[in-house]
Amino acid sequence: MTTRWKIALVAVIVLGVAAFVTRKTVTAAPQAAAPAKTAEAPSMPSGTVSIPDTTLAINSSTPMSQRIVHYEIDAKYNAAKHTIDANEVLTYHNLTGQALDHFPFHLYQNAFQPNATWVREAKRDGSRDTEYDHWDPKEYGSEEITSVEVVGQGDLTKNLQYISPDDGNKDDRTVVDLKLAKPIAPNAFVQFKIAFHEQMPETQARSGWKRDFLLGGQWFPKVGVFWHGAWNCHEYHATTEFFADFGVYDVKLTVPQNEVIGASGIEVSDVNNPDGTKTVTYHGDDIHDFAWTVSPRYKIKEATYQSQMGPIKLRFMMQPAHWDQVDRHEKITRDTLDRFEKWYGPYPYKTLTVVDPEPDSASEGMEYPTFITGGTSWFMPQGLGFPEVVVEHEFGHQYWYGMVATNEFEDAWMDEGINSYTEVKVLDSILGKNTSMINWARMTLGEREEQQFGYASVADRDAMAQNAFDYYNSNSYGGITYGKTASVLLTLEGIIGEDTMAKAMHTYFMKYRFTHPTKEDFLKTIEEVSGKDVRWYFNQAVYGSPVLDYEVSQAESYPLNWYEEKKDKKEPKKGDKDDTVYQTYVALRRKTDFVMPVDVEIKFDNGEKIREHWDGQSRWTRFSYQKKAKVISAEIDPDHTIQLDRNDFNNSRVVEPNPKPTYKLSTYWLFVTQWVSQAMAWWAV
Amino acid sequence: MNSNKGLLSSGLSMVMRNKRYIFWFWLLNLTLAEFGTAAFRRSAHAILDHSFLSDKLMHSFDIGVIVGLLQRPEFGQMDSMTMPALYFGFLFFLFTAIFLPGVFAGYASTYRLPREDFFRACGRNLWRFIRIMIIAGIVMGIFAGILFNLNGVIVKKATERTNEVLPFELRMIGFTVIFLIMTTLRIWFDLAEADTVLNDQRAVRKSIAAAFKHTFRDLARLLTPYVASTLVAVFFLLGGISIWMNLVRPDSIIGAFVIAQITLFLLLIPRFWQRGIAVSYWQQRMLVPVVAAQAAETTPVAAPPAPVVPTPDPVPVTSGSPSPSEETH
Repeated sequence: MTTRWKIALVAVIVLGVAAFVTRKTVTAAPQAAAPAKTAEAPSMPSGTVSIPDTTLAINSSTPMSQRIVHYEIDAKYNAAKHTIDANEVLTYHNLTGQALDHFPFHLYQNAFQPNATWVREAKRDGSRDTEYDHWDPKEYGSEEITSVEVVGQGDLTKNLQYISPDDGNKDDRTVVDLKLAKPIAPNAFVQFKIAFHEQMPETQARSGWKRDFLLGGQWFPKVGVFWHGAWNCHEYHATTEFFADFGVYDVKLTVPQNEVIGASGIEVSDVNNPDGTKTVTYHGDDIHDFAWTVSPRYKIKEATYQSQMGPIKLRFMMQPAHWDQVDRHEKITRDTLDRFEKWYGPYPYKTLTVVDPEPDSASEGMEYPTFITGGTSWFMPQGLGFPEVVVEHEFGHQYWYGMVATNEFEDAWMDEGINSYTEVKVLDSILGKNTSMINWARMTLGEREEQQFGYASVADRDAMAQNAFDYYNSNSYGGITYGKTASVLLTLEGIIGEDTMAKAMHTYFMKYRFTHPTKEDFLKTIEEVSGKDVRWYFNQAVYGSPVLDYEVSQAESYPLNWYEEKKDKKEPKKGDKDDTVYQTYVALRRKTDFVMPVDVEIKFDNGEKIREHWDGQSRWTRFSYQKKAKVISAEIDPDHTIQLDRNDFNNSRVVEPNPKPTYKLSTYWLFVTQWVSQAMAWWAV
Repeated sequence: MNSNKGLLSSGLSMVMRNKRYIFWFWLLNLTLAEFGTAAFRRSAHAILDHSFLSDKLMHSFDIGVIVGLLQRPEFGQMDSMTMPALYFGFLFFLFTAIFLPGVFAGYASTYRLPREDFFRACGRNLWRFIRIMIIAGIVMGIFAGILFNLNGVIVKKATERTNEVLPFELRMIGFTVIFLIMTTLRIWFDLAEADTVLNDQRAVRKSIAAAFKHTFRDLARLLTPYVASTLVAVFFLLGGISIWMNLVRPDSIIGAFVIAQITLFLLLIPRFWQRGIAVSYWQQRMLVPVVAAQAAETTPVAAPPAPVVPTPDPVPVTSGSPSPSEETH
């Protein structure tokens, strides 16, 4: 026996003992607790089944979530065929308060079939990575349950039935429903033994293979969430991702020995098998999904971050061509962790794996519990902050999705959008407000600007509060879910105060971590913390789709005695005391339907500044003054707090035009035009 | 004749003797581009001039402001900005085609070519140049289409490999090969243009055939100075942009304009240099020194019409001498 084998054996024994010691045994609840209509024989065998209360993977001595599921998966990956054959044991704790007689399961990889809802939507509306100009057989994916046994009820494979709750697409097989022989009583446990075979597709979005790389995300039959009195298990749509219950994951992955592997949770053993494979075992606590990746070419850097709750093992899995960027990845990870822990709350897990996925694999920028994918390329100068933006964003999902586990199918803005808001805050803090995305070759771009123009292009298309799969198209989904939400929350800072908003976000995280909050939970938290009624704002910004656009439509002065003859009247020279009294008008317009109170700052040529407040209720308002000074400018929102305004250009009006910016831009455009002309003439004549 | 002179230096001396051509072409380039960018300027003025937001542009190249500007419906569609620029760019190309015969004539001349001779050469060769351009367009278009597609296929194939940098490297190698092949074709048609003008060749096919022969016979000799002059152009472009970025203050509009125009002026030189190289080569290799016929005791015949362009060392021509372009060496 080799030393490695011995170590592996010892590790397995130690962990087995640890799991046994920490395992909380719960006897299946007596059926009497079930409502009368489901008072049938207990569905579980008389033996003991439970959800472990292990804490191996978290820096906490007690579980942090209400654990509903325990997945034990033993999977073998065939790297040549990109197939997975696995056995899954799912233990489910029925905490719904009612008997359950059927269980829906996600079979995500069936989305990658030509007539599946995912592909139909992606072809119709575009998706983040794939256009489907033609169908390539390599893009085919499938996930088939070959058998399912419910402990105590026998083999129920024949009871499986594909359902399509969202669009009725009979060709969509991303949700399968299992009708039980006997209902599961409240507080009882049920155990499913599932065998499944999976053909991973060449990646079109998120998961799959590319060359010799694999991202195993959304890869196993996963039970839906019983939520608000019903099963919530949506089909896999082009714009949707996750919603799942918290629990414990014990996953054994058998892969070729040359593969470098990484996954959610902590690694508990790594054993080489005689057939040239190895089996790596992972354990995760208080997580609601499990992802993994393999590639023979990853280069690894490991480091430790001391969090508020204990040490976190950071693991960076880099592409060889990006190895020179590993320190950038580490720095942004550390800085982001620092901000999140300070501002929102502690990161409780013992690991964080940052994967730099295969280039062009459509799996960049993904989030799974304790496991994220970045996105970069071999040419990435220091001032181009794209890798930083992606890593920060995906890490942010550890909070807004990973721990605050909202329903991403129905309220995508609560995970992508809130995460985009915190992304702006964190990146502003780390990389600078106007330079967080690009600060290279004199070009600058801030993350908040990027969010704003993402929203501005689709501002009136959809409301934030709607199903992620009901958006007009993928652009609208992206612009509203990410850009509008970030802009709405940044604007909210101006209404309730930046510090109050920070406090509200912290409160929201701490109160709702390891739960499934709703949009009202979030909005009420803000109202409670701020002590303000901002329903008028939420009704427009969150629940509606009116657009906000205010304009300074007039700013002018003229002498009050304009009608007098100018005989012998000399124009006052600069520096002369001008006793002329001027009539000044400043008019503001609300060009669109979004009503919002605004401030306006009016400046006069004697240095005087006046701030006015307008409630914005009417379509326009006008301020007038009689002063021995002329207006030089008027600016709505002089503190620049209204990020939601679709057009910032018309928020100010300078009386004397300043043509310099136009000249500057024109010089660039002129240069390009001349150069293109010359290039054309170079080759053509 | 300057047969012993290197093509690079002789070509450059032609350019230096006729700097005014570059100046006029630069002025034409600038004027047309001014028209081409007028729509952009007008739209930008309307949005930026009275807004505080535009101040951000003065401190850096603020992409957020620029994207915001482009998103404004009142700014207009981007097409309405790019199309005028392209139209006027095309106009510059047409004017280049019209005036280029005069440039060839001027380069071949040992003295300052009078204005009327310049325009005479332009008018005389206009239709011939159009024909050459059409043929060149077809040939170069076919080659470019095949080569770029081939490059695309190779690069796509390379993306299946696990070496991420390989596609980029192959693309660059492909671009280099395409550049060399397209430059070879450009030499061919530059020589054809030179021959058409300087030999007053009405049958452009003969000029094209002769140029083809010479291009591939003396490819290394011609390609080297062409590539060298292109590298000079690259140097001017990168140098200009580098100075612009590093030495010109972000808020200095005059500084930016001056550097931009100096760069563009300098960028015109390499291409004119290449034309000088073509003329120089034509003089060295394609212009046939005709051996004077022995004096016959016959009544002298009138000399044929003089070539449009005086050559540096005019050779006496007698009637019945073969066309230079039909000569072989």
